[in-house]
Amino acid sequence: MRMIEIFRAVLINIKENKFKVFLTSLGIIVGALTIILVIGIGKGSQANVQDQFQRLNVGTLYIMPNFGGQTTETLGVEDIEAIKEEAPSVSNVTIMVSGNADVNYAKTSASVSIAGATEDFQNINNLVLAQGEFINNDHNEDRKRVAVIGAEIVTMLFEEEADSEIVGKDIIIKGKRYEVIGVLERLGGSMQGFNPDEGIIVPYDVAEKYIVGKKARTRVMALAKDIDHVSDAIDEITQILSKVHKGKSDDFRIRDAGSSLVAAQDSAKAMTLLLMSIATIVLIVGGIGIMNVLFVSVKERTKEIGILKAIGARKKDILLQFLLESIVISTSGGVIGILLSIMIMPLMKYTDIRVIPSFFGYGMGLVFSVATGTFFGYYPAMKAANLKPIDALNYE
Amino acid sequence: MDQENIIYMKDIVKAYKMGSNELVVLKEASLQVKQGEFVAILGPSGSGKSTLMNIIGCIDVANSGEYRLSGQNIDAKSEDELSAIRNKEIGFIFQKFNLLPKYTALHNVQMPLLLRGLDRKIAYEKAKDVLEKVGLGDRTEHKPLELSGGQQQRVSIARALVGDPNILLADEPTGALDSQTGKEIMDLFLKLNEQGNTIVIITHDEEIAKKAKRIIHVKDGHVYQ
Ligand SMILES: Nc1ncnc2c1ncn2[C@@H]1O[C@H](COP(=O)(O)OP(=O)(O)O)[C@@H](O)[C@H]1O
Ligand SMILES: [Mg+2]
Repeated sequence: MRMIEIFRAVLINIKENKFKVFLTSLGIIVGALTIILVIGIGKGSQANVQDQFQRLNVGTLYIMPNFGGQTTETLGVEDIEAIKEEAPSVSNVTIMVSGNADVNYAKTSASVSIAGATEDFQNINNLVLAQGEFINNDHNEDRKRVAVIGAEIVTMLFEEEADSEIVGKDIIIKGKRYEVIGVLERLGGSMQGFNPDEGIIVPYDVAEKYIVGKKARTRVMALAKDIDHVSDAIDEITQILSKVHKGKSDDFRIRDAGSSLVAAQDSAKAMTLLLMSIATIVLIVGGIGIMNVLFVSVKERTKEIGILKAIGARKKDILLQFLLESIVISTSGGVIGILLSIMIMPLMKYTDIRVIPSFFGYGMGLVFSVATGTFFGYYPAMKAANLKPIDALNYE
Repeated sequence: MDQENIIYMKDIVKAYKMGSNELVVLKEASLQVKQGEFVAILGPSGSGKSTLMNIIGCIDVANSGEYRLSGQNIDAKSEDELSAIRNKEIGFIFQKFNLLPKYTALHNVQMPLLLRGLDRKIAYEKAKDVLEKVGLGDRTEHKPLELSGGQQQRVSIARALVGDPNILLADEPTGALDSQTGKEIMDLFLKLNEQGNTIVIITHDEEIAKKAKRIIHVKDGHVYQ
């Protein structure tokens, strides 16, 4: 039989069983949708990693206390002074402390993360100011209560003010008055432990004294001279720490941004892989659904198969008819899945999950749908094709 | 062997395994049908008529014996070759019509030609002609359930005729019809035979059998020519 006639037979059958076909394709629709979303989410999380690290120098080193040890040493200004003087491979070093505090302006009040930092914090993290200036060494020495605020904080506290009027305003942090001296440009991602977009930066000593207290978690950020000096810098810092802390350098942990980047990329990849396997499982379940429906369909249409064989249908004609039916159902399921994903993905911006639509995603959704239909349609189709004419004809 | 024989059967045995027993339905059945004949196979219910007819129609295969259809040795054919023979050499008409319910009368009649790989337009012309010939020119777009029993049987006769087969096989074609309609269908078969078609028809009704030109009796698995 000509292909076009087999196709016509398939369409007649699908038209007669619209509801069943819809139920069958449901599994494929969900499967294709999942694949497309998964690929979109994978691309989204990779993009997140990239955004997070693009403003960061790969030569950045993080030094943190190792919590959980018996005697917990904290990092202090004396550490960065030592590193500044004695580590030739380090070009820049800063200390930071962070915590949460209530912030008020006019009638608005919110709990916000606060970082205490020094002048070099800006360079190391590539922070760019939209307005005003950053904290400098004088602010630190004089323990001036000044604040640099993130882009989100502006929208939160100063809804009604013009951007140009914000610098110079006073805000209340933990009951004390601070002058806003600068506003940061939106960074779009968060650095380790502190998101500048949603935070407020004050001088280190001020934060320690008035906001987070002496026992707060401090961390040191250092910048290696260049990427080739990262491991030298780590060695030097380790030595200095063991000198300053009298052999308790084990209480600290040094991480470099390069390996954090690799780790973050790896975890984004692992996430994608995990989601992919979920999508695969969904599709397999959908495929088994198709197979079941086709088995039932072969049984229901046994008589019809017998009639077709009695008037001269060959195995191939029957096989193709059922296989094509499965492929048509799964392909339309795939296409509906793609259309649904196009409608759903814009809605994802209301969640925290970032999805990036791509033709690769749509293509994969379709390819997997068609493959599922072909694979799971083959066995029932083969079963139909191998029926003996007399048995099929006498089936009631 | 006689050249004119369309059907040549010798010592055909068909048996079914029923658990440990074997039910022999055809016991060394032999028969010949010549070009242009109109033969009725007559016998009581359960005597093996349909089994015989299904083997003649290549829908079923015998356990042993020799069967030639239009000179071709059927025992040696593959399944797809048998499909081609059913499509080209044989026109089968069933007691219960066996039309495809989702297809229109016309599409049903087109099917043997479409299965043969013919173009739909050619199949359309041919099918329309044949439907007119069996008196259903005005019902081509009806689906089987929208037709009476007699009309359905006419569609199924048209389907059997459309491929110009060498032989028409009809298994109790009037069995599901009232006597008046049955008579009309028999008249149609007679007319088709006059036009040169070779016809084998199964019946257990002697009145109908008498209209045929030759009667073959089947009794308890034996065939008496
Ligand atoms: N598939 C089968 N399995 C077992 N027995 C069968 C089968 N088909 C037919 N028979 C038996 O073969 C005998 C002949 O059946 P059939 O040829 O249909 O008779 P008829 O058409 O003359 O009424 C019956 O006894 C029937 O029960
Ligand atoms: Mg019978």
